[in-house]
Amino acid sequence: MSEKYILRARRNDRIARWIITAGGVAIIATVILILVLIVEVTLPLFLPVGAEPLAEVSLPAQLRHEDVLLLDADEYMRDGLVLTRGGRCVFFDLKTGTVKHTENLAEDASRGEALACSRVGAQQYCMRWSSGLVTIVTPDFGLSEAENHGVAKPYAVEELQSIPASVEPGEIATSVARYTDEGLVTRVDLLANNTFRVAQRSVSTDLMGNESVEAYESLIDGLPGGVSAYTLDTQGEWLYAGTADGQLIRWDLGNLGSPKLVGAHKATEDNVPVTALEMVFGDVSVAVGTGSGKLTTWFPVRKTPEAVTKQLAPIHDLAPHDSAVTSILTSRRNKSLVSLGKDGSIHLDYPTSEQHLLSLSRAERVVKTGYTARGDGILALTEANRICVWRIDNPHPEISLSTLFGKVWYEGYDAPEYTWQSSASTDDFEPKISLVPLLYGSIKGTFYAMLYAIPLALFGAVYTSHFAQGRIRNVIKSTVETMAAIPSVVIGFLAALWLAPIIERYTVTFLLGIMIVPVLIVIFVMLIQPLRQRPFLKQVEQGFEFVLMVPVVLLACTLSYMLAGPLEALLFGGDLKQWLFESAGQRYDQRNCVVISFALGFAVIPIIFTIAEDALSNVPNSLKAASLALGASRWQTVWRVVLPSASPGIFAGIIIGFGRAVGETMIVLMATGNTPVLDMSIFNGMRTLSANIAVEIPEAPLGGTLYRVLFLSAVILLVFTSILNTMAELIRQRLRSKYGLNN
Amino acid sequence: MASIIDPKFKRGFWQDGEPFVWGTAAALSAILISITILIAVIMVNGLGVMWPSDVALLSLQDGAQVFGLPLREDPILGSDAINLQIKTGNRDLYGADFRWVEKGTVRAIEYPSDVYTLERMEYGNFYGRFKRLGDGAAPASSEDLEKAWQAGQEEKERIAAAAEEVNALSRRIDGISGRVLKLKHSGTPENDATLQGLLGEQETAKQELQGRMAEQSALTQALLAHTATFVDAGGREMTIPLMNIVRLYQPSQMGIGAKSRFYLSKIGELLFDEPRESNTEGGLFPAIFGTVMLTFLMSLLSFPLGLLAGIYLREYAREGIFIRIVRIAVNNLAGIPSIVYGIFGLGFFVYGIGGTIDAWFFPERLPTPTFGTGGILWASLTLGILTVPVVIVSTEEALGAIPRGIREGAYALGSTKFQTLVRVLLPMASPGIMTGFILAMARAAGEVAPLMITGVVKLAPTLPLDAEYPFLHLDRKFMHLGFHIFDIGFQSPNVEAAKPMVFVTTLLLVLIVLLMSSTAIYMRGRMRERYSVRSL
Repeated sequence: MSEKYILRARRNDRIARWIITAGGVAIIATVILILVLIVEVTLPLFLPVGAEPLAEVSLPAQLRHEDVLLLDADEYMRDGLVLTRGGRCVFFDLKTGTVKHTENLAEDASRGEALACSRVGAQQYCMRWSSGLVTIVTPDFGLSEAENHGVAKPYAVEELQSIPASVEPGEIATSVARYTDEGLVTRVDLLANNTFRVAQRSVSTDLMGNESVEAYESLIDGLPGGVSAYTLDTQGEWLYAGTADGQLIRWDLGNLGSPKLVGAHKATEDNVPVTALEMVFGDVSVAVGTGSGKLTTWFPVRKTPEAVTKQLAPIHDLAPHDSAVTSILTSRRNKSLVSLGKDGSIHLDYPTSEQHLLSLSRAERVVKTGYTARGDGILALTEANRICVWRIDNPHPEISLSTLFGKVWYEGYDAPEYTWQSSASTDDFEPKISLVPLLYGSIKGTFYAMLYAIPLALFGAVYTSHFAQGRIRNVIKSTVETMAAIPSVVIGFLAALWLAPIIERYTVTFLLGIMIVPVLIVIFVMLIQPLRQRPFLKQVEQGFEFVLMVPVVLLACTLSYMLAGPLEALLFGGDLKQWLFESAGQRYDQRNCVVISFALGFAVIPIIFTIAEDALSNVPNSLKAASLALGASRWQTVWRVVLPSASPGIFAGIIIGFGRAVGETMIVLMATGNTPVLDMSIFNGMRTLSANIAVEIPEAPLGGTLYRVLFLSAVILLVFTSILNTMAELIRQRLRSKYGLNN
Repeated sequence: MASIIDPKFKRGFWQDGEPFVWGTAAALSAILISITILIAVIMVNGLGVMWPSDVALLSLQDGAQVFGLPLREDPILGSDAINLQIKTGNRDLYGADFRWVEKGTVRAIEYPSDVYTLERMEYGNFYGRFKRLGDGAAPASSEDLEKAWQAGQEEKERIAAAAEEVNALSRRIDGISGRVLKLKHSGTPENDATLQGLLGEQETAKQELQGRMAEQSALTQALLAHTATFVDAGGREMTIPLMNIVRLYQPSQMGIGAKSRFYLSKIGELLFDEPRESNTEGGLFPAIFGTVMLTFLMSLLSFPLGLLAGIYLREYAREGIFIRIVRIAVNNLAGIPSIVYGIFGLGFFVYGIGGTIDAWFFPERLPTPTFGTGGILWASLTLGILTVPVVIVSTEEALGAIPRGIREGAYALGSTKFQTLVRVLLPMASPGIMTGFILAMARAAGEVAPLMITGVVKLAPTLPLDAEYPFLHLDRKFMHLGFHIFDIGFQSPNVEAAKPMVFVTTLLLVLIVLLMSSTAIYMRGRMRERYSVRSL
């Protein structure tokens, strides 16, 4: 052998060692990589809200803070605007404070000066003039040529609505107005004598294109206390008012011309006044700020199940301010809201998750805030006539551990609930993302599957490993392994389209079968006892008992089929489903837990069977031989000697089977109906964590809340199965070293 | 005298636990029965679908007559009556393919010999008698019909060829658009010569395409004018363009031989043709091709990695805490739910790596993703990781079964570890390793959940492998047998009509998977026998 050859051989050996070791390490790396990558996607759900100070500029055009009625910014956080008492709209650069454009909204002197201004919708402002006129305006942020495909767009302010007053301007204390696309304009004035005047104007166009205008006016008087704050929803349909003695009152303005008082509620303790009211995005909740700094959201609920009308109730308590709440601003993207305290503290809160997301403050007292329509920027105007701007990074405000795993009181619900409903057709929908129904579904499906799988798989394994005839044993094992290879999509399809209709039709037969089969087996065993000395049975007892049991099991099934009809007629009036619905109020779903029990059980049986069989047959023969030699029967040997020795292995098999059942996707996706309900009934379906991922991920936009929550459910599945598998593997490793087995 | 035997161990039928043995036997029987039922259901429902059954003429009590295939009987709950399900076809006439009639109301069932079964491009089957050809000026026999239909089929092939040319042209236009996009993205000015040249070329190609498309639609229109009129049992006429008839036959006139030939040709169609009617009829070729290709690509990742890791675990690693962790990792990998692999594939391969590839190599096409969306490459990589543990475990087992003496012999002769491995151990372990490969492939062929989020689609217009440069299109979406089952069984608008196809697909998938896994199990058994003899 040449020197060269040996050197080459050694080199190859070293290279191979490196490559092969790398392959081994790659496996651990893969497991860790999978975990890390999935966790990484979910992390932003739990990151705190980021507030990045963007700029701090002086109020433009030598304005003083008292002149500013309203403060806002464009979508890109590039330009800001202020509406001033003089009736001007000043656009300025947020970074530098230089004025880009000033628009005079007063047009002529007849309007007088602007007295108040409030936000109506996304970048729409309602202004009240000293002449009593109310206008709704919207700004047009300009664009340069480069930004707008070569055409420069000027800054402008468009007037959308102009609603004159029908009373003396001196009588009006404050006003708000709303309009709808359907042509309904609503103006509510609070008059100096503590009366509301509601003016509604409805413009409708008939088929011929003729417009007809109907105008309604009405007064709401006899208010229980001095109104300290009020607001309208965006459609002008509901009027909310808070009083100086702490009441919250709601009127229905839907019936034009005749406002209806719906309810008055005590909103504060110790008669503290309500100081700020604002509708949360979606027009269901109203945010209430009080003189003591408390901030709550309210929405109408049915207080008792029998109640016909819904009454306002306090739902979410948000982080209180140290002083009175002076204003509340809401996002037009989600339910988040910004509140300003009298002491100048700014809070960002999210009602659904009751999370206090952020507190901002400045050295000088903040007197006014602005909140961009997208909810991504907060502006603050201080006493020192400076404007501070923060960019808010708040992508997943609705997620917290308590919304994921706790009961949440969602809008429109009468009580806090665990609910999963991730999306709907409207933008203002409140995503309901409790994982509890899904976890529950996973556990429920797994439970019923294991109920069917564990006894069959374990007893089958016991029989195969210790009673079945030697050569038959290998055939049985191969058959069961083949069963493991059947794709779950096939099992799911058969379960849903073949088994489910059969079970629906023969429910009683199936339930009866569970009882009759064991009984018949016992009877059969008793019957054959006197015949045991016959040569035929002696041969059967050499490990072919299971062949004889096949007709017995089939007979039992036939018997249950024949008995089911009369029994159903006797007990359930001929129709189990009807009976269930009438006497127990239970729905019968076609794709229910009985189906799942069989289908998922069928998928899990081979796993438990194979592992348990291995564990049982690996028990050293010496133990078995000793027991038999001492005179124990074959069952006594297996039951008292083999089973205890193999029990850790069997346990490991059950754990692994459990892990499989929890993570199985296709079967539950196809055979459960996928309704996320919390109901233990065996006749209902469910939605599992795994099926939920498969159902929802195609609709989840990359990086969105739903996308991350689905990754979170994958993390839960991964961690859960990893714990189970690690446990099982540790048990098996111990068992192996105990019996000195090497595979 | 007191017995020296503990009464607990007294022998007797009940005392020595013999009934319990019978009980465990019953559990095993139940398992075996359920396997048998499952296989039987698939076989019975899957095998019969393509057999050309005779069309029955049912005369009902109310005087109505209907053609159809009686399918199954169902007792009506709470009465003695029996419902009969009939496949009546003629969806465009009746609005549904199926109908339930109470068996008592059926006066007579005959099998007239002149009934045609038409398999059509749309609306499912038609059962009826032939009436006339075209506008029916001249009387026509069934021979004329079959001749006309044959002629129509030939014409249809010409149209298909024309359509292929149209497709080639539009692909060329797509190619040019891609290059134009790329040039524009790299900041080439509008008046650049190459760019202008390309745009000109694109314009000519577009004009040519328009011409060809007009030609094709003229051909189609001309062919659509050739029609035949059929009548159903109730005498309602239905005029069907000949080109929309895929098959026409009179099952009652076919002998066993003809029917068997027909059956075989249907199997041929199933294996080699494209699907029709939103996948509920026609062939499965794209799905079979997708499944095979997916399994092949997955093997490229899973086999080497699994083999290396298995060899490492058995031959190179020293027993210790590290190796225990690796083993736990392997077991965890095997136990991770497949949907978690899917979501990992989506996050890591599709959006992570795919998104990066798009940003680096195909920025001009953004935001339309090229690799940043599901595709066969990502799906097969995901499945590759999913099946690695199967390969590892089999490799380990196969190597572990080789007696220690053989290794020692090789070392004694002076070979290095690597030489021993390559020249002695791997050849000996190869059947076991092959077993692992086959099991991994079987698992991959049957897995659906991870594919659903990494690139499988219900209908892919093109195969991932074709004659067009660069031949292998790893970014393309694909079809898959398992997903096919889920899709047509659960998402198709007409589940009842789709059922036969689902059963056929199921049968095919189960056959493939069972064939693979039983081969693997058989090979493993053989290997065990070999070594158990050798180690004696």
